[in-house]
Amino acid sequence: MRIGIDIGGTFTDFVLFDPANGALQTFKRLSTPRDPAEAVLEGLAEAGHRFTEIVHGSTVATNALLERKGATTAFVATAGFRDLLAIGRQNRSQLYDFFADRPEPLVPAELRLEVLERVDRHGHVLHALDPAELAPLLEQLGRTGAQSVAVCLLFSFANPVHEQQVGAALRQAGLLTSLSSEVLPEFREYERASTTVINAYVSPVLDRYIGRLAGQLQSVDFRIMQSNGGSISAAQARREAVRSILSGPAGGAVGAFHVAQAAGFERVLTFDMGGTSTDVALCDGGIQVTSEGEIGGLPVRIPVIDIHTVGAGGGSIARVDVGGALRVGPQSAGADPGPACYGRGGGAPTVTDANLALGRLPADRFLGGQMALDAAASEAALMRLAEATQLAPVPGLSLAQAAALGIVQIANAHMERALRLISVARGHDPADFALLSFGGAGGLHACDLARGLGVRTVIVPPGASTLSAFGMLVADVVKDYVQTVMLVGTVGYQEMRETMERMEARGLAEVAAEGVPAERITLFPQVDVRYRGQAYELTVPLTPDFAAAFHAEHQRVYSHSQPGATLEIVNLRLRAVGSVPRPVLPAAEPGDHDPATAYLDHRPVVLSAGLANVPFYDGAFLHPGHALPGPVIIVYKDTTVFLAAGDRATVDRHFNLIVAVGQQ
Amino acid sequence: MQPAAPDPIRLEVFKHLFASVAEEMGVVLRRTSYSPNIKERRDFSCALFDAAGQMIAQAAHIPVHLGAMPLSVQAAIAACDFAPGDVAILNDPYRGGTHLPDITLVTPIFLPAQTLRISSGQATTPGEATVPAGGDMRVEHEKPEGSGERPFAFAASRAHHADVGGMSPGSMPIARELIQEGVIIPPLKLVEAGRVNQGLLDLLLANVRTPEERAGDLRAQLAANATGMRRMNELIARYGVDEVQQHMQALVDYAERMTRRLLAGLPDGVYRFRDWMDDDGVDPEPAEIAVAVAIAGEQATVDFTGTSLQRRGSVNAVYAITLSAVLYAFRCLLGDDVPTNSGCLRPIRVIAPEGTLVNARPPAPVAGGNVETSQRITDVLLGALAQAAPERVPAASQGTMNNLTIGGWDGERGQPFAYYETIAGGMGARPGKDGADAIHTHMTNTLNTPVEALEYAYPLRVQRYEIRRGSGGSGQWRGGDGVCRDIELLADAQVTILSERRVFAPYGLAGGQPGQPGRNLLIRDGEAQELPGKTTLAAQSGDVISVQSPGGGGWGARVADSDELPL
Repeated sequence: MRIGIDIGGTFTDFVLFDPANGALQTFKRLSTPRDPAEAVLEGLAEAGHRFTEIVHGSTVATNALLERKGATTAFVATAGFRDLLAIGRQNRSQLYDFFADRPEPLVPAELRLEVLERVDRHGHVLHALDPAELAPLLEQLGRTGAQSVAVCLLFSFANPVHEQQVGAALRQAGLLTSLSSEVLPEFREYERASTTVINAYVSPVLDRYIGRLAGQLQSVDFRIMQSNGGSISAAQARREAVRSILSGPAGGAVGAFHVAQAAGFERVLTFDMGGTSTDVALCDGGIQVTSEGEIGGLPVRIPVIDIHTVGAGGGSIARVDVGGALRVGPQSAGADPGPACYGRGGGAPTVTDANLALGRLPADRFLGGQMALDAAASEAALMRLAEATQLAPVPGLSLAQAAALGIVQIANAHMERALRLISVARGHDPADFALLSFGGAGGLHACDLARGLGVRTVIVPPGASTLSAFGMLVADVVKDYVQTVMLVGTVGYQEMRETMERMEARGLAEVAAEGVPAERITLFPQVDVRYRGQAYELTVPLTPDFAAAFHAEHQRVYSHSQPGATLEIVNLRLRAVGSVPRPVLPAAEPGDHDPATAYLDHRPVVLSAGLANVPFYDGAFLHPGHALPGPVIIVYKDTTVFLAAGDRATVDRHFNLIVAVGQQ
Repeated sequence: MQPAAPDPIRLEVFKHLFASVAEEMGVVLRRTSYSPNIKERRDFSCALFDAAGQMIAQAAHIPVHLGAMPLSVQAAIAACDFAPGDVAILNDPYRGGTHLPDITLVTPIFLPAQTLRISSGQATTPGEATVPAGGDMRVEHEKPEGSGERPFAFAASRAHHADVGGMSPGSMPIARELIQEGVIIPPLKLVEAGRVNQGLLDLLLANVRTPEERAGDLRAQLAANATGMRRMNELIARYGVDEVQQHMQALVDYAERMTRRLLAGLPDGVYRFRDWMDDDGVDPEPAEIAVAVAIAGEQATVDFTGTSLQRRGSVNAVYAITLSAVLYAFRCLLGDDVPTNSGCLRPIRVIAPEGTLVNARPPAPVAGGNVETSQRITDVLLGALAQAAPERVPAASQGTMNNLTIGGWDGERGQPFAYYETIAGGMGARPGKDGADAIHTHMTNTLNTPVEALEYAYPLRVQRYEIRRGSGGSGQWRGGDGVCRDIELLADAQVTILSERRVFAPYGLAGGQPGQPGRNLLIRDGEAQELPGKTTLAAQSGDVISVQSPGGGGWGARVADSDELPL
């Protein structure tokens, strides 16, 4: 038995997969934020200790960073550069706000130290590190009380000798040490330093947490999800925590793309709309990875799934501004107090309140009926807003409903803008993709949003809320390696192969050490190339024809290329993938079109054209083959789906809703 | 035609729609541009305009472009008799530009003929000409069909081109007249009825040092404008002409209302402030910038009377720069994320006497006006506004961009090189908060070049890049510190520095101390020699150029400063 576990703010999700018979099973426990391991251990007990493998997210590391509760960390730089972390890229985060600040560096000024040394771009030592300098450095570190140290010296990726000397001394003194030449041997000192410091800052936290769980889980293959969409052994993860810092959303994207592929879709925008924010990832025949990730405003240069977060969700609060416009977000009511209809003291109208007032969210069936919603509270909050906004009455609707309709339109406009931007910035038209909606709040917005974007198909999988934990079970073992080489001009393929062979030997050994048999390991050697004079690179497969591939990719992404121009080979990259046996999604042959067995009742719902009596169906009773023309509302335990007139859903053999979106 | 009360829902929806169009133009420009200056440092802006040239929405990029964009579009409207498929180009600071490296492309948007008959989303894309690399622009589109005699709206993009000719690489010289700063482009049609004006393009490219790069960046600007036009046509197909037009006006009115609210909340009165530029790079005398900001109810008058006459050196700002600084200062006080559009300026009257530093006339050089004087105009405006809103305005920030250009022959790589950067400094202390260290403030926000990237590309070695500790002014709240950046030359090179606040320090407020002025040093054979704020020198391999940027002013008297205990 394999188990995927995702720790969320409210629930910890468990997905169990039995490779013997292909059975999938899911359940939830309430999360235990003070000690997340508690809920995990409880859930595992409930699973009956029949498991052999656990794949787990790294919420503890992520939260330690976001809440600034990591280890006391020191930073060692080349003399003259100790302020790298504070200067960053010298830009400010907000153009028109005098009071906005960049995120504080994770290392305070008094913990930023220097060693006198210098290596040049060729890796030649210009100023040798004097070993006599190391004793005073250790003494200084001792005085600061640092628990963890990050070392980032200039050009250490070209020649790590000085970092290794410093590292050896620190490790001998018993200090947990992260060297930039080990974590990320890639040029651009600020980003490399930031990545190394994050590793130093969160590794002790993840290490402690894994130690606690591992102590109770003897003889279980314990694995951690990484931000790149693959998993690694817990033993490895605890030393390289930065690699799993964005694992939560990565699990969701992996699960979502797996489901989409099984349904026959290769080009997908995954859309995970939750309470406070919405995560979006663009998959074009595969999950896209970027090395320009960031967390809490700090750059992370290790490869991460390219996920874009929009600050709008079900809990986004609506208000009227001094110029008389109705605004939705960025303030959010979150889970506590939550929307007005939660009845926990939240008086502000939210997107969820709007959906409730429109009749699209059934008050009596929220979270499978576990939580009653207070429709009167929503109504009152919306009325207050409508009065403050001086909304003009809409024929056939109450003022509260008119306000609610506006809130939903504005929330959709906001998300449409974000989805467009991430597509266009990556050289795509959103209309060429299907939209896969998961996360509790997405089903009510997905079809209208798709219409605005020109997207023709919406997919809503069953069990949408446990897709992240499911994604962890689907994830392969993935290890990424990079090495800056910076070779100019006509570089021989053979020369690059020599460096790559060393990287490949390491990749094979490390994936094999994860327990993957050799025949299941695939290597993807890649190269980052640019035209001389450019300051940005494109990644293409490392083959004898890499140059032609680069020109073609440059043409595709940037709409121009210069096949005659001089190239610069910036980085060699290797991705080593060990494939794991994947769960087979439950399936059944399509039957009758008529979904009568799932029919609940008709209720009044506000559509864009006005009030109508709309049928409600229970998603749990839908069967492959069922067809549902809009307007219709389909209620699942963890999400509700709204189809407008002109939309038409069918249930595919994996129980996904496949919606053909009607155009306006 | 404007409704009595705009629909608060549609207003917000259209705010997102128009902003989305401008943003999309920005990502297309950044994605398809050639030069690092646009792609990496993001020195560009994109915006949408109504038929009269009022700015409707702008993708937030570079503040110094803020007020200047509408003037570019208006200059293009005045000079060009636009027809469908045209695109105008300009950089003349005295006809809609700011300084020569900033080239603006303006595309008129006509209603597609078929939108009048059918509501299909398949709008035409007139003017979508493409420019292949190498400057060989051929026409790939037929003359598009358009209706109407007058453009319905405009899409414009402005980008800083790394070289536009003139007396030195990078086109930011210490000049004495505009013509020395580069090629001057009055508003002309670069594309006419879908066809590129190849003669004009050839002439332009023959007058710049890196023609391929320029052609590539111009093509990216054309692609951005075409995107703006296509997306506007999609909005018309989706919502109808009337609704789109009505909300263009409603959004300008909305920004105007927000600005009036801000002004009404400030106490009536006349607030005066003045400060000085160190010199103009040619003559050593300081130049004064004076302002009187009069707040009366919902309106403001910003009067620069008393400002020094324009100078021989390049510190002259054209009116567009002054307008940008005014819009920026008020925009920062608005706080809420108000759309930045022409409505923000409606209740504000700007008086900038002709022939002065804030409204220069030809043939005065202007390169420094854009990058240096713009910062001082902002300082002066904020100094005045601090009297009206003391809790919301910081003390003076570094007040310069520390422009450094190094060019010469790179023997190791066997090619000429030209490197340009701006260097961050201290932010002024804020009421209730220290100022940030080592950060770009006010009119610029461009990124630095990583040390390792710089050493890979140029015969330069960075010896030190650190916070200049103690350079921020003291006070109840401390001004941010500047930075020290020491660069060793590994080849002989021409070094040009265009910097300010080497003499007149960034002011403190409410009893806070001024920040330390900046310094420029030449270190040769271990001996440091002070350099002027604006200078060009022939430096030798082994020389170190040390730029030490100013600290920000402090805010509020420190208890120890004002209440010293008697001994």
